[in-house]
Amino acid sequence: MRVLLVEDEKLLAEELVLYLGKEQMVCDWASTYAEASESLAVNQYDFIFLDLGLPDGDGLDLLAESKTYQKHALVIILTARADVDDRVRGLEMGADDYLSKPFSFLELKARMQAILRRKSGWNKEEIKIGGFVLDLDSWMVAFQGEKILLTKKEFSLLHFLLIHPNRVINRFQLAEHIWGDHMEDDYQSNYIDVHIKNIRKKLGSYASVKWLETVRGVGYKIKT
Amino acid sequence: MYLSTKMLLYNLLAKGIILLFFLMTGPFLLRYFALEDIDAELEDKRDQILDIISQDGMDEFFAGDDSPGGFGSYNILREEYVLLEKMEEPFLLDSIFNEERILDNVTVSYRVCAYVFSFEEEIYLMEIGKSLETINRIIDLISGIILSLLLAFLATSFFLDNFFSKRLIQPFKKIIRDKISHINEPQQFMHEPVKTSTRDFKMLDEAISDMMWRIQKAFNQERVFISHASHELRTPVSILQTKIEAFFGDENLDPREMERLMDMQETIQKLKKIINALLLLSKVNNAQFLKTETVSLDGLLEALFEEWQALAKGRSLDLHLEIRDKFAFRQSNASLCHIMVQNALSNALKYAYENTSIQMIGKREPAEYQIHVINEGPEISEELMEQVAAGLVFLKDAKKESSGFGLQIIFKIAGFLGVKVRVESNNTSGTRFIFCFPIN
Repeated sequence: MRVLLVEDEKLLAEELVLYLGKEQMVCDWASTYAEASESLAVNQYDFIFLDLGLPDGDGLDLLAESKTYQKHALVIILTARADVDDRVRGLEMGADDYLSKPFSFLELKARMQAILRRKSGWNKEEIKIGGFVLDLDSWMVAFQGEKILLTKKEFSLLHFLLIHPNRVINRFQLAEHIWGDHMEDDYQSNYIDVHIKNIRKKLGSYASVKWLETVRGVGYKIKT
Repeated sequence: MYLSTKMLLYNLLAKGIILLFFLMTGPFLLRYFALEDIDAELEDKRDQILDIISQDGMDEFFAGDDSPGGFGSYNILREEYVLLEKMEEPFLLDSIFNEERILDNVTVSYRVCAYVFSFEEEIYLMEIGKSLETINRIIDLISGIILSLLLAFLATSFFLDNFFSKRLIQPFKKIIRDKISHINEPQQFMHEPVKTSTRDFKMLDEAISDMMWRIQKAFNQERVFISHASHELRTPVSILQTKIEAFFGDENLDPREMERLMDMQETIQKLKKIINALLLLSKVNNAQFLKTETVSLDGLLEALFEEWQALAKGRSLDLHLEIRDKFAFRQSNASLCHIMVQNALSNALKYAYENTSIQMIGKREPAEYQIHVINEGPEISEELMEQVAAGLVFLKDAKKESSGFGLQIIFKIAGFLGVKVRVESNNTSGTRFIFCFPIN
């Protein structure tokens, strides 16, 4: 998968390029409007990560350009701006999603997968682990055909962990994924423990859930 | 009371008072002028008779033996009479007065002109009378006509005033409706001038428009500032966040390093939350959110109940949901509604005593839909609540490690969405947040 990262903050871009490389993606980085415009004219991309605040132009104009030359590219707007109009205009102009900075790489990956699933029109996608099957279409978990009732938050949490296997995910990342960044409660990361406990209890009555590991004082990890 | 109604009532009252004055004084004036006219007529006739006497003498009046001491003459309908009578003693009399006479058992009111004069060394009393019955009838008739005319005038005037005042006030009403009442946010204001030929309304319209230009400009400047501030604050945090995440991705980290990273992550998380809370408050203040959605409030409560039931249980709290009525809140913002009620619920979970219950109730009252979030926690002082509602302070609860923006966010969002918030708090029954969503 080839992606274009349009980001003027060098330090941020470097980490993002590194992360995307580890996720087996080929990443081109453009730090200005002009560089991004040139890249769009020369290469074909699957994903474009677009920062709106560029030093030599407006990212929304670049979005319009990408929709002309890269009709099949999927666009995620990454911005630190707080303007709601930008978000609305961006989505109206054809962006597929919008992620406010600061964001987690893991959240970015989750959003990419969600867009791909939506755009590809797959009717059914499943994730399997330890005999359990997560049906992403119906938001159901089943064990040997028997449905297990998880709440939306529990399902979302389990899904987020499963799409980042073998990686420690801290409580804050998990909390931000399921509650967003607007809840004014420092306790929310502790609520993650309650959800994980419930997931283990619900799934544990069917089979072992040792694959869901606790990383003491940090968070959780799916071991495959 | 509306200005047009006031103007109408004022006109009606002023004309009513004038009408009443005419009704009360009209008959007296008519009577006064009628009597003045009769008096002049009687005096004229007296002078005519005196002229006849001076020319022809008294023989014409005292010719027969039937009336050696006096002369009296009534016309056929007894509307007028003339009386001449010889007097024994001289005295002075030149007067006009009303007097009732009984003629054939009928009492008739007369206006009488009485005059004593001497002629050929004899003293005579002359009386000339005119019946007042006709005058009285005419006065009654004219009074009736005047009353009818005045009532007709009042009724016509009422309808005309009503019509004209409505027409006259129409531009003013348009200014009030389109440029003041219906403008919840400065961005909604339309600068198109109201069509009117009234100079005062034009001035008012221009003054409002000018004021709104300045408010809109300030709002836009604030919006740009928020956007830039957001960028400047979030970008460095974003860089820190990515660096830490990169470290977290390293599989070779030992637990101690992981713990240190977690401490850094926690600090960044707090920073993020403070920035987000401040930006949310600023954006709500700056009316940057759209209010175009219809929010099912019973659905919102159900969703929150599902999300928070397990968490409450994890904190040894019993979360109850009671939806008595359903309600769709129109022209609102689903995300903000969710944040507002969720903050109240989060607050309840934070402060409730262990092994107590938290209740969420949704019910319809005559003019509003109410959401109650009740917890059995410690009291929030009234003084503090008033300060928070006025936006004067940010609470900092070190014990609960809270930044204290939660309550501010609740009140700011409520104000933006047109929702009234009441907080009832005491040490015996705990704290109750009541969100009142207007039905109309």
